[in-house]
Amino acid sequence: MEDIELKSLWKAQDEKLNKTLKLNQFLLESLQKQKAESKLNRLARYKTGVTVLGIAWTLFLGLLVYGNGFKNPFFSISVLMIALCNLVAVVIYITHIVLIKKLDYSNSITDTQKKLIQLQTSTFSIGRILWLQLPFYTTFFWSSEMIAANDIRFWLIAVPVTLAFTLIAVWLYRNLTPQNAHKKLVKAMVLSSTEYTSVIKAREFLADIENFKTTD
Amino acid sequence: MTQNNREEFLRRIEEHKLIIYKICNSYCKNVSDRDDLAQEITYQLWRSFNHFNGTVKFSTWMYRVALNVAISFYRKSKKEGQIIELTAPYTELADKTGNNIELERNIDKLQQFINELKELDKALMILYLEEKTYNEIAEILGITETNVATRISRTKEKLKQQFQTLNN
Repeated sequence: MEDIELKSLWKAQDEKLNKTLKLNQFLLESLQKQKAESKLNRLARYKTGVTVLGIAWTLFLGLLVYGNGFKNPFFSISVLMIALCNLVAVVIYITHIVLIKKLDYSNSITDTQKKLIQLQTSTFSIGRILWLQLPFYTTFFWSSEMIAANDIRFWLIAVPVTLAFTLIAVWLYRNLTPQNAHKKLVKAMVLSSTEYTSVIKAREFLADIENFKTTD
Repeated sequence: MTQNNREEFLRRIEEHKLIIYKICNSYCKNVSDRDDLAQEITYQLWRSFNHFNGTVKFSTWMYRVALNVAISFYRKSKKEGQIIELTAPYTELADKTGNNIELERNIDKLQQFINELKELDKALMILYLEEKTYNEIAEILGITETNVATRISRTKEKLKQQFQTLNN
């Protein structure tokens, strides 16, 4: 089958299709009113809400440190580290909101689809950063007195718990990546089956786009 | 959007409505999905119309929006209740009244083969069959012209082989 035949066949369907596109002003207005709440707008609003909460939480943590006046360095450093993790997450969320607002379907297909995938998979990555704050929730009550007193409960309970939480946090940070979404443990820990499928598909599609952009 | 803009939009869409049909047919296998996609594409076109500044041809702009929406729609593993129930079907296709059964069969087969292509190859072939130049295709897809030529040649070969297998 020659090119011209493929193109003729393709053209031949015009007649089949050229019946009616029931498009009129009434339907357009009806669509506009009902669809004003697009999926991306909802996502932007959700992310804005989370960002506002994140900022409030970070400010609250800042006030705690300020109130403590560095009297207890363990408390201050722990809370500062928790605040830092949240601040990073807030910055990423703000980047997402900007990305959503700037998303333009009339840009080239490969670029727009890459941006959509970036949005889809980076939400997944924020979780990793937030896990890093985990060990600091076990150290904020530490004090120089506890160490000086050589309390056996401190060395046998508090320190091992912090170490365990540190290991867990580091492991999660290293492993909870979109690249590892296929791993059973990651799947079980983080992703619902729908999210899992969409992240896996997004990764595959990203690979398709990269492959598509290169001539081999 | 002003009344003039709306009329202008409707006129332009009417002029290029086959683009929407063909993309919907190529990205959706069943009729209800096609209707949903046509609705989504039209909505996104309308939303973006104010930003259309004429730096590219209207059809190029329209292909970009429509294909981006179609690929995103196709990739959704699960619909999320975004489709509005309209009182009447949004699109209505002509009945199969063709007298040429062989032609009908070949059109259906071509559509089926295109349906089976990967998302981006599908977009590429739609643009090729719509007789867009390699330069326009490259602009719409965001790849180089050389890449367009190589990929079209490969995909055409694949389609031809599928037709040959069918006819043997």
